[in-house]
Amino acid sequence: MYALVDAVSFYASAEKVFDPSIRNKPVVVLTNNDGCICAVCPIARRLGIPKFVPYFQIKNLLHKNNVVVRSSNYELYADLSERMMNVISMYCDDQYIYSIDESFLLFKNFGGLIKDWHKYGHEIRRAIWKETKLPVGVGFGTTPTLAKAANHAAKKLEGYNGVAVITSPNSAKAILQKMDVGDVWGIGRKISQRLRQQDITTAFQLSAMSAKAIRTEFSVVTERTVNELNGISCLSWDDVREPKQQIFSTRSFGQRIVDIHALQAALTKHGSIVAKKLRQQSSLVKKLVIFASSSPHDDDSYYKQSIIYKYPVATDNSAEIANAISEIINEIYKPGVRFYRCGIGAIELESRRFQQPDLFMPDNSNPALMKCLDKINNRFGQGTLKLAAEGKSEEFQMRREFLSPLYTSSWKDIPKISCV
Amino acid sequence: MYLQAISQSLKTRIFDFQITKQSIILYKFTVAFIMKFIPIYIEAGISGFESPAAEYKDLGLSLDQLLITHPNATYIGQASGESMTEAGIFDGDLLIVDRSLTLKDGDIIVANFNGCFVCKILDKTQARLLSASKKHSPVKINPEDDFQVEGTVTRSIRMHQKSPELAACMR
Repeated sequence: MYALVDAVSFYASAEKVFDPSIRNKPVVVLTNNDGCICAVCPIARRLGIPKFVPYFQIKNLLHKNNVVVRSSNYELYADLSERMMNVISMYCDDQYIYSIDESFLLFKNFGGLIKDWHKYGHEIRRAIWKETKLPVGVGFGTTPTLAKAANHAAKKLEGYNGVAVITSPNSAKAILQKMDVGDVWGIGRKISQRLRQQDITTAFQLSAMSAKAIRTEFSVVTERTVNELNGISCLSWDDVREPKQQIFSTRSFGQRIVDIHALQAALTKHGSIVAKKLRQQSSLVKKLVIFASSSPHDDDSYYKQSIIYKYPVATDNSAEIANAISEIINEIYKPGVRFYRCGIGAIELESRRFQQPDLFMPDNSNPALMKCLDKINNRFGQGTLKLAAEGKSEEFQMRREFLSPLYTSSWKDIPKISCV
Repeated sequence: MYLQAISQSLKTRIFDFQITKQSIILYKFTVAFIMKFIPIYIEAGISGFESPAAEYKDLGLSLDQLLITHPNATYIGQASGESMTEAGIFDGDLLIVDRSLTLKDGDIIVANFNGCFVCKILDKTQARLLSASKKHSPVKINPEDDFQVEGTVTRSIRMHQKSPELAACMR
């Protein structure tokens, strides 16, 4: 048996944990640099506040409804996420943290002891609410894909109240019939469009397709999804926890950038973030995509440029990524363009464990140096030690105008408790 | 010739970084034997006694271990006001609050009372929040009040001298 536990609009819920004055109010959270709405709490959702729209476009709507607006408080979210994951881990024998607010659980050995999965799901919800004040949805399924579908039902469908269980073809049917095919785990936008053209609109219709036919028309990955929807486990636990296949770091600027050095510094900073993430999951990058663009909302004509950079020997070294950027910066930069956004993506990865060394190309990744860099930054804070090419990047600082206090990570911000 | 060969071979061994205890003793012995010098020990970090306490150095006392029983459910807050002084909680004290415990009558708790974190003594039977000070009267919890328990105060910490970390949040 598998389960997927995830928080209900995690960022917005996290904002309410240490601020009781906004518990009953509509709350939205903005992305980096306060650009877009990235989380909408259930109260705000009922008011019809949309997600993923630029903040400036619905500023008036938010104001009219007295919606509380917050910038992303990553320090707080990281701390609450860790607490939540730790509480969840006590309820299963294996846990895989899939994202900041989602975690897969596997019940292998003591699964047989649990008689009532429904009750157990509510027990998990109650414990997380009591200990962290975060609301979660719990979905159980006989495969990871069904667990994900059950989780969707638990949170989005009427009458499930936070817990849904799929243990039989019947319980699967009840949920999959009400589920849009695009909401199935592993079905992207392109595939769901093609399925819709064939009048396959619900998850149940997809599950009724012949897996073989799906394989010839789509891919072996989609075939696996169909099998999983029918309760046939295709994703092993190790597939679920496979490291990320691509790593991106990108952000819009607080102000527009017109200077080539400022652009290079910003790109290098993204490069360092990507390199750090690569090292965390023991991956090396073979192919990088480096991109920058102006804003589509500005009056000037839209400019966008991206370059693919291929390494002869895959690397996870921040300096080597910085070198790639300085090699191509003249191809990306264009004088006169007011750059609004830039970023780096590692689009082809290799595993460090299975790296094929090249007889004629030296490996310059210098793991010892990078380990030292990561250790210093973990201990004394990110950015304590960095590449000179990242610059003294004040203008690159995130704009977080509506930032809540760092309740759990800064002494001066700990919650005040009234004794009057 | 013979001795030269020995010392040559020892040099190579040393330059190969294959210093073993035996080779160093042998080297000392050879040097003394050849040159009739007072032996000079090679510093290879093996001289001197190891501190007899080395094995115990990880056993420091941890305040976290003493003060925090359920780290995932515990947060730290700061008291502000005088209503709990007779329970030993003064203005500016740190409160360690555990959300995982089952409430008992008379527990010192933190609650969300109408959108504000308050620290009070719980009177379950009469649904009241009591203060630990004669100047403050009990507060009745009415059904229309927004009330949620936010944990039990398990410890409080008094800073008898100013701490630079906390100075910023003390008025």
